[in-house]
Amino acid sequence: MRNLASLLFAGGLGFLLMVFGLQFDFGNAPMLVGQAIQSAAPEQVGAANIVTAVVLGYRGIDTLGELAILFAASTAVGLILGHRHTSTKPDPDSGLILRAGGELLMPLLLVVGLYIILHGHLTPGGGFQGGVILAAAFFIPVLARPSTPLKHTGMMLIEGFSGAAFILIGLAALYSGGEFLQPLLDKGTLGNLVSAGTLPLLYLAVGLKVGAELAGLLAHLAAAEVSES
Amino acid sequence: MNQIVLIVVLPLLAAFLVPIVARMSASLGAALGPLVMGVCLWITGTVAIESAGNAFAINIGGFMPPLGITFFVDRLALLFAFLTALLVLVLWPFQGEHRPREHALTLILAAASGGLALSGDLFNIYVFYELVSVASFGLVATGRRSSAPAIRYLILSGFGSVLALVGIALVYTQTGTLNLAHLSQLAPTHLINPIGLAAFALILLGVGVKAELFPVNTWVPEVYATAPNRVSALLAGLVSKLAALVILRLLVLVFAQEQALLVMLLLGLLGVITGELAAWRAQDMNRMLAYSSIGQLGMVFVAFSIPGETGVFAGLAIALHHLVVKPALFLLAARWGGALSGLAGAAGGNLPAALLFTLFALSLVGVPPLPGFWAKLLLVMGLAEQVGPLYHFALAGILIATVVEANYLFRIVSTLFHRDSPASPAPQKHSGGDIATAGLFGASLIAAVLLLIPLSQSLKTIAQQTADAAAYRAVVTLAPTTSTLGDTQ
Repeated sequence: MRNLASLLFAGGLGFLLMVFGLQFDFGNAPMLVGQAIQSAAPEQVGAANIVTAVVLGYRGIDTLGELAILFAASTAVGLILGHRHTSTKPDPDSGLILRAGGELLMPLLLVVGLYIILHGHLTPGGGFQGGVILAAAFFIPVLARPSTPLKHTGMMLIEGFSGAAFILIGLAALYSGGEFLQPLLDKGTLGNLVSAGTLPLLYLAVGLKVGAELAGLLAHLAAAEVSES
Repeated sequence: MNQIVLIVVLPLLAAFLVPIVARMSASLGAALGPLVMGVCLWITGTVAIESAGNAFAINIGGFMPPLGITFFVDRLALLFAFLTALLVLVLWPFQGEHRPREHALTLILAAASGGLALSGDLFNIYVFYELVSVASFGLVATGRRSSAPAIRYLILSGFGSVLALVGIALVYTQTGTLNLAHLSQLAPTHLINPIGLAAFALILLGVGVKAELFPVNTWVPEVYATAPNRVSALLAGLVSKLAALVILRLLVLVFAQEQALLVMLLLGLLGVITGELAAWRAQDMNRMLAYSSIGQLGMVFVAFSIPGETGVFAGLAIALHHLVVKPALFLLAARWGGALSGLAGAAGGNLPAALLFTLFALSLVGVPPLPGFWAKLLLVMGLAEQVGPLYHFALAGILIATVVEANYLFRIVSTLFHRDSPASPAPQKHSGGDIATAGLFGASLIAAVLLLIPLSQSLKTIAQQTADAAAYRAVVTLAPTTSTLGDTQ
């Protein structure tokens, strides 16, 4: 019965896809909003990277939503895995080459991650991408030395305060007479490092939050793996 | 009036900070959530008074729509924002061990629900819908009884999100915009075609996962049977209604075509029939409530498929009635889990709970003076007015479903008041908080009976405002460049 129902459902979905295939006018999508944003963004937002103008300017509250989704996911993982006891011993530290490599990689990854975050309004990249690299910077040493896990407190502080900073920047705009998340400060000259108003600050908050979140998530999962085995 | 955005932002801020605050001071951390929800209630109240029922739009980030994201605030949005804050506050996990993470997830659920009520942008709605999903995964999994239902819920929910996203992408490829007011302007020329209908079907199925729509509601019984009852109450009472609200907005503004209404009518009717029949056969209190919830939501969809203001009015009435009744029933069921036969004579141990249960059951079936009757009456009258065999078929289906509903609910009530119970095992005590909260819902149900006329009047004005797509378009001022572009297309 259940198989029959799934078959029917899949059949219906297939039919829908066929309808699209027949009806679709490929390659001629109207670009109403896209074109309007392309022509207005450099002047309105002042970010050389138009994707950033969309992500943090035009659709800033979506980005806040994405941050919250990530936070909710890592909180849920913490809630489910949190009350397991890590009574078993962690894996032993790995050999010299891996440990030294991990220690060497960490500062490099930190620099690359921060560079990508801070140049998010100029070049491709930004808070999410840079944040993932930051998370890797903190997690690689944990992989090399499983006996010294990440400090949860520090991660929690960075995570909470950077998320709060994003919202507070938005609220500052609201209380200075504008709308929530309206870009503040001087736009500067297009293409300079210090330009696009509050956008780089928002991206810094995004980057730190994503980094702390992912590192915390990975640490949780690693700890859970240890206690399972 | 742009402070209404705070009802989305403040709970998020609190959610981010709860773990830190709770580490510094446990009592402050425990108080933060209810405090913020109280502030949200107050903000919604002041905005409702300030706006005096007139709809207005705020442009997030100060960018004109359709470039930026709009929050559209009318009576319906304010009503649901208010109910979100109120329900979250009433169902706040005050008891039990204090877990900051659980509080953070509840706050995120509240923020996302407020966002769903307010947002006037298709993709923004998707983001908030996703946020509701992820927060509810975590909350459902706190049940600890079994994680399999939570995982099945996660998979089905993820599948639904993908469908909805494909639907949104289709809409975007056809129109080039995501703003609901702009879409409403372009829909007659761009979306009244098979692709538009397919996009609607995909979004309906995707969002329908949370709204307990017929083919994608298989997660409902097992999740409500295993999740903590307060979470079940929130999902069945609040989240399902917000998903239905999203579908209503899309139906009124964007997909106002006959076939879309028929699809909804059919799926809603199937939901009513399958839900009520499954509830009739259910052997477990929580499962029975879950199936009955599927049936009630099906009724909401049947009502929304009636074109125009009548349908909106009836659908909102049923949805609001269910929003009051179902959370209370889930709270009462918290200690009555397990097989229904084990409840024989349970009223002897706990008379107030049994009496409240009877009250809610009567209202759910639709016994005259209670609000449930008037809601069902509106639906039946609305269906009878329509021409077309399918509407009359739906009318018959709903009347039959009501008989089935009466049968199983009264069976439980008579079990509860069974006199010569065979030495029932130690009477399971309800916690005082649950009874008091359920009593609060019961009191509001009685108050609704007394205030029936003013309430139905104000609900009618809400329905009028909601069903008026032209007024919605008039409120949202679009950036001049894009609206001219739209005309030349």
